[in-house]
This record gives sequence, structure tokens and C-alpha cells, in this order.
Amino acid sequence: MLTVAQLLGPLARYRTNEAVVTTMSVVRPWGILSDSDLDFASADSAMGHAADLALGLALAQPARKVVCVNGDGSMLMSLGTLATVVGSAAENFILIVCDNGEYEITGNQPVPAAGRLDYSGVADAAGFRVVYRFDDAGAWSTEVPEVLSVKGPTFVHVITESGTQGPIGRSPAEPARYLQHSLSDWSKIMRTALLESPEY
Amino acid sequence: MARRTVDGLMRGGVTHVVGIPDNMSGPLFDEVALHAAIQLVTVTREGEAFAVAAGLWLGGASPIVVIQNTGLLESGDAIRGTAQRMGAPVPVIVTGRGYQKMEQSGVNQDHALTRELLTRPDVDSTALLTEPTFNAWGIPFWRCSAGEDPVAAIARLLDSTQALGIPAALLLTRDLD
Repeated sequence: MLTVAQLLGPLARYRTNEAVVTTMSVVRPWGILSDSDLDFASADSAMGHAADLALGLALAQPARKVVCVNGDGSMLMSLGTLATVVGSAAENFILIVCDNGEYEITGNQPVPAAGRLDYSGVADAAGFRVVYRFDDAGAWSTEVPEVLSVKGPTFVHVITESGTQGPIGRSPAEPARYLQHSLSDWSKIMRTALLESPEY
Repeated sequence: MARRTVDGLMRGGVTHVVGIPDNMSGPLFDEVALHAAIQLVTVTREGEAFAVAAGLWLGGASPIVVIQNTGLLESGDAIRGTAQRMGAPVPVIVTGRGYQKMEQSGVNQDHALTRELLTRPDVDSTALLTEPTFNAWGIPFWRCSAGEDPVAAIARLLDSTQALGIPAALLLTRDLD
């Protein structure tokens, strides 16, 4: 089982020009590790719609890898998106699901079928080209470069520990820069970076 | 008509059609599938279409969402929390199920939404609820009915949505075949 820090640390270390979409319990921790204009927090948004939004981004930017760090509760809200991803054949899309078995933000209530639903099995059956499952921090850290470089669509099921993240807002007081702006303003910042800064 | 519509989408710079076909929009989906210049993204639920479209816009593409009004009713928080909250100018074509039936029944959206009306077998409540829903959710919309040119209406939709900077819709109550 991984902590969120053990999940996100190696991802931040090996990440280069990938766009990264976060949601729920990883939004703040990722925003502390990363300060890129290519990070997008699906916060103050619509729960369950990080993966499909990230898929759209991947389809618009086929030359760039797009990573979505999703929650299990969020994934369950739009499990059909797995079929949409496979149907779109987005080779540059990496979907990570943090499986801690709970709605952490709202107080750690269990998600349906917590601990029994095999997300990697579902993704494999849905037709993802590459599927990984990690419950060990060392194995994840070793494999991150391959996960980021392999031709997808790629699904990564990570067993994570229960956490204590609370509700996420957007305000200038937030330490993570991508939470200091409104969703609309950050969308402009990120879109501009994607379209006008080839160094990204 | 579907071919003319796709030509109009191409002239308008649309890069992706995102949605789920119904009997009215089916010919449009069939036609889009034949054109390499526009990518078709078929989704599993209509709310998903708005998130995919918002992501496409974020990445620099110019998507249009095509769904039935039944799917619009399913999509509320996805529209609000993605494209609308992001300020993404995503145009939406909503095909109008139940409009003919509603007209034949002699009722319209101005009637009070009573239990009697909402459960009447000769009235499709989808049509009754579509326009009030647009208004409640802050989605500007225009209607394109029989006798009106959908190609011209879609061109206006594309321009108006860009100007508004939020999702806006064309309610299509006529066939495209």
C-alpha cells in the first residue's frame, strides 16, 4: 500500500512536459510538489469528470502525454469513461486510479465495493492497451519512467492508504498555485501555455 | 442535409464532434465518421461529452457537443462544473425529442408543470422540461425548427458561443436527413 506522497513523489520526479490532471485527495499534495502551468486541478468543478476531461485534453494534444490522477470514488462516478478512452484509442493517455476505498474528502466514507472491485481487472477487460497494478512503493518508483513512456491507453491502479484531505477550494491563500486562481482563469493560463509555449 | 451540416462544421473550424447519436442526429454522426478532418468522439453518457469537450478546448481544439435533450437533462453538473465553470465556449446541438408530440397534444413549455401534465401519456415530458432547464442552468439557446436551415443556425451557434465564452445550445427540432 502506498501513501499519496509515495505515489506522487516519483511522478513529479520523472515528469517532463506531460500535462497532469488531478482531482480530490491528490489536488493539494500535487500542487505542493509541482508548480507547472501544465497542471490542472479538477477542483471547484464536477466530481467524476476528471478522467473524461483529461481524455479530451489528450485528444487535443496527441503529441503530449496526459496523466490523470483520479480517485476511486470519482472513477466509479463515470466508469463508462473507460470505454470512451478505449474507443478513442488515445495512445498518449495515462489514467491513474488511487484506490483507497473511500470518499476521503467528505470524511472517509467507504465507496461501493471498497476493497473488492478490481479496477485494474475492469480496465483490462475494457480493453486498455497497458494496465498496471501497484501496491508497493518501490515497484511504483521503479516503473514510473516506463509508465510515462509506454504507448497507451494506459491504466494504473494504485492501492493507496487512507488519508485526511478535506474539502478543496480555490483561493489566493492556497499554497498550491493552481488553486490560487479561479477555474476559468487557470484554464486560460494552461491553455495559453499549451498553445503558445512550445518549450513545454 | 447531413453532408451540408458537416461541411458547415468544417467551415466553422470544428475539430471534434463529441456526443451520442439519436434518430435525429444519427445521419450527422454517420457523415462525420466519413470525414478525416473532424474527429468523432462517441461517449457513454451525455455528461461525459461536456467534460471531454472542455478538455479538448483546454488543449486548443474546437469541439461541438451533439446530444439528445434526454441527455441534456442528465448532464447538469458536468456542464456546470466543466465547460461552463471553465469559461469554455463549447457549442452544443441538442436534438429535441418529444416536440412533435407536445405540439400535437396542444401543450407547450408555458403550461404549469403539474402532476397531471408530467404524467400524461400523450406528452413527452422531456420536451416540456428542455427549455426551462436551459434557462435554469444559464445556457443560452436558440431553436431550429422545421422550415429553418440548420446549417445557417449552426453557423450562428458557433459564432455566438465564441462571443459568449460559455456553452450555448442550438435546440434542433427537425431532422437532418
